[in-house]
Amino acid sequence: MAEEFEPRIVAFLCKWCSSAGSDLAGVSRMEYPANVTPIQVMCSGSVSPLYIFSSFNRGADGVLVSGCHPGDCHYIKGNYYARRKLALTKNLLAYMGFEPARFQISWVSAAEGQKYTQIIKDFVRELKPLGPQTKLRRNGSW
Amino acid sequence: MVKIEDLRAEAQRLLKGGTVKYIIGYERPAGSWKANPVFLKNPEETDRLVWDPTCYHNLVRFLIDEKRRKAKSKEPDPRPVGVVVKGCDSRAVVVLLQEKFISRLDVYLIGVSCEASGVIDERKLERKLAGKKVRGVAFGPAGSFTVTTDDGTVEVPAAEVLADRCRDCIANVPVVSDHLLGDKTKRTVAKPFQAAEKVEAMAPDARWSFWEEQLGKCIRCYACRSACPMCYCDECVADSICYAVTPDTTAEEKAQKIKWVERSPVDSENFFYHFVRAIHLAGRCIDCGECERACPVGIPLRLLNKKLEKDAKELFGYDVGLDADQPALISCFRDDDPGDFIR
Amino acid sequence: MDKILAKKDFPQWLKKLRAYRLFAPRLIEEVWNYEVVDDPDHYVLPDVQTVVPVKKVVFPARECFFEFEETDGTTLTLTERRPDAPATVVFGVRPCEGKALTLTDSVFGGTFDDPYYGERRKATAIVGLACNTPPSSDCFCLSVGGAPHSTEGLDILLTDLGETYYAQALTETGKKLINEGGALFSEPKAEDRKTVERLRPESERRLTRRLENIKNVPAKLKGMFDAPLWDEESLSCLRCGICTYLCPTCHCFDMNDEVESTVPLRGKKVRTWDTCQFPDFTMHSSGHNPRPDKAARLRQRINHKFQYFVEIWKDYQCTGCGRCIALCPVGIDIIKVVEKVRDYGS
Repeated sequence: MAEEFEPRIVAFLCKWCSSAGSDLAGVSRMEYPANVTPIQVMCSGSVSPLYIFSSFNRGADGVLVSGCHPGDCHYIKGNYYARRKLALTKNLLAYMGFEPARFQISWVSAAEGQKYTQIIKDFVRELKPLGPQTKLRRNGSW
Repeated sequence: MVKIEDLRAEAQRLLKGGTVKYIIGYERPAGSWKANPVFLKNPEETDRLVWDPTCYHNLVRFLIDEKRRKAKSKEPDPRPVGVVVKGCDSRAVVVLLQEKFISRLDVYLIGVSCEASGVIDERKLERKLAGKKVRGVAFGPAGSFTVTTDDGTVEVPAAEVLADRCRDCIANVPVVSDHLLGDKTKRTVAKPFQAAEKVEAMAPDARWSFWEEQLGKCIRCYACRSACPMCYCDECVADSICYAVTPDTTAEEKAQKIKWVERSPVDSENFFYHFVRAIHLAGRCIDCGECERACPVGIPLRLLNKKLEKDAKELFGYDVGLDADQPALISCFRDDDPGDFIR
Repeated sequence: MDKILAKKDFPQWLKKLRAYRLFAPRLIEEVWNYEVVDDPDHYVLPDVQTVVPVKKVVFPARECFFEFEETDGTTLTLTERRPDAPATVVFGVRPCEGKALTLTDSVFGGTFDDPYYGERRKATAIVGLACNTPPSSDCFCLSVGGAPHSTEGLDILLTDLGETYYAQALTETGKKLINEGGALFSEPKAEDRKTVERLRPESERRLTRRLENIKNVPAKLKGMFDAPLWDEESLSCLRCGICTYLCPTCHCFDMNDEVESTVPLRGKKVRTWDTCQFPDFTMHSSGHNPRPDKAARLRQRINHKFQYFVEIWKDYQCTGCGRCIALCPVGIDIIKVVEKVRDYGS
């Protein structure tokens, strides 16, 4: 019997809100799929489009960027810049014909452990039918 | 109409008076029907300057070389450089001013208006004339071009050989200049972003196939990057780490030296390079079209950059290259920036 | 061995050669390039100059030399990857490109034998097409030891006689390919030979550009290392690299380790095209760059083609195809630059 496809998600989580939120999910023993490789960043505004593209280039099936809610950024404005930058990135990916569902952005606060688990559950559920990401993935062979 | 005598007179005045170090303009070498960039220091040589529909190069690109030259010089000449700029080129100057890459005092801008038409796409003209040898192209009446071949002259309607970017031009008159030549009537363009709309209208799978086919042609010669006035980074993220790692290199610097993309011209890496270049030009690309003109294998690069120009305007109300005092696109935000794509 | 092939039979010949991988010029969105022929029935051999020259077939833009893999934690295994070099025939190659192949053959197979180039080169047959008229307005092959009907580097030379091709087999491989065409090829008539003889000097006269009296240029360049000429001529250079990427004789390359995984270590050693016109081409690991500006790099290109290569291989490293002139975005013209070198100081 074929193994079910398990999408690999790379999640860039801002240290002050979303990463803390994911930790809250953990200590609260909330269950959610183990498909995520979390990378803590200082602020969602520090996430460069290069990170997103590089994740897909190295074979990620989905990429999530999560930060503080607008108005709550630890650095005051970082997430506003993220909102702009990541809108442009998401639109450019879609413009190139890449599946927009593979790149998600969310606002998750340090208290929103439950929301984080839901975001991941939804993301995995939406990625499974899309199958492995092959469009931007670096090929191992020529 | 831009009178060439006026352009040459202004250039002569600047050089004679020592106001500028040198002038970057267009000339047409003997035997050639196409203009080339020219660097003039001598006021006696200003007759070499031309202005015709083959002046499609963006001369602002050479301000990058000038800045590097100044940086290496022990006693840099503080005078400005004179540059002949079309409307599109002037928008490039605005972006460089926004980013404080140059100061307003570094350039003396001789603006030329493209008036009724614009510049030609030399490949379109060559295809239209199918083998006939072109001797020269001039601005004709009513927005046409007067093309001289061995058989005589012929009026070619602008629409047939106009550079694609001129069709979407939002600045036929330079938006910043120190001396402005030509008709100052602004042309309106009904659909400034039609280039991107065509691709947006495709179904996602068709869009992917389209880009796969187009970017598959890429040989990674980086001519697009080299031709762009806004690609002025000394070390580009698309290149392998070149700067030396010495005992003085800090850990932070070392951490920045990541190889993001391989040099191989394979699909995944070509996509990465073009995606990164496009996103780094968000809010900076003014559609001078030089990248697409330089590309030897015919990749429609304008279609890529146009999408970001469109999003800047439609999502964020941001006009690229019109106001030197506005912050960079991704260095500012509005409270009502769209956020409904965020969960 | 000389034969005649009717133009209408050309597709049939392609079909008889279906065991080979066939390359020929194809127009894809206004750009001509050598591509695999997948529809021989409708293929018509054009009289054009491609953008990317035939070097891409024997010296591809990317090739993998070997793979490395860390097995058992400490052992590093290297697996060589010899090229996948199926028997190939390239059609429509202009004589300047054939000559260019003889120059790259010297570099990759002269004193050192590069098996990656060599295996591809041995597996590739070149069917040239004589230039009855110059395919580019910037052609100047005659000025650099070539000719529009030169046979150097070719296995077969086809000359267009109107309704037919005059096919000259120049090597055993050429003969073999013609024999595989069987009855499609017929014996040439006396008037065919006369037409070919007439076309040769006519084709030479049709070349509009010349680079004349350059015999002294190699020696002259030796004394011009510090000449201000290089600064002047390179002012408008964008260092875009198009001149060298698309030159049929240029062959500089970069070597990179494409690491796919760090733990366990796994990756490939890859060779890609490179160009001396890029600013970091000569960047040393110390941070020093002996060619830090465009003047130095233009000087390098001209010297490599008209002095260094002449000293080593006794031939200009330029076959006069004119691509660098036609495709330079700022109109830098190698003919004009070398003329200025020739006339420098007089």
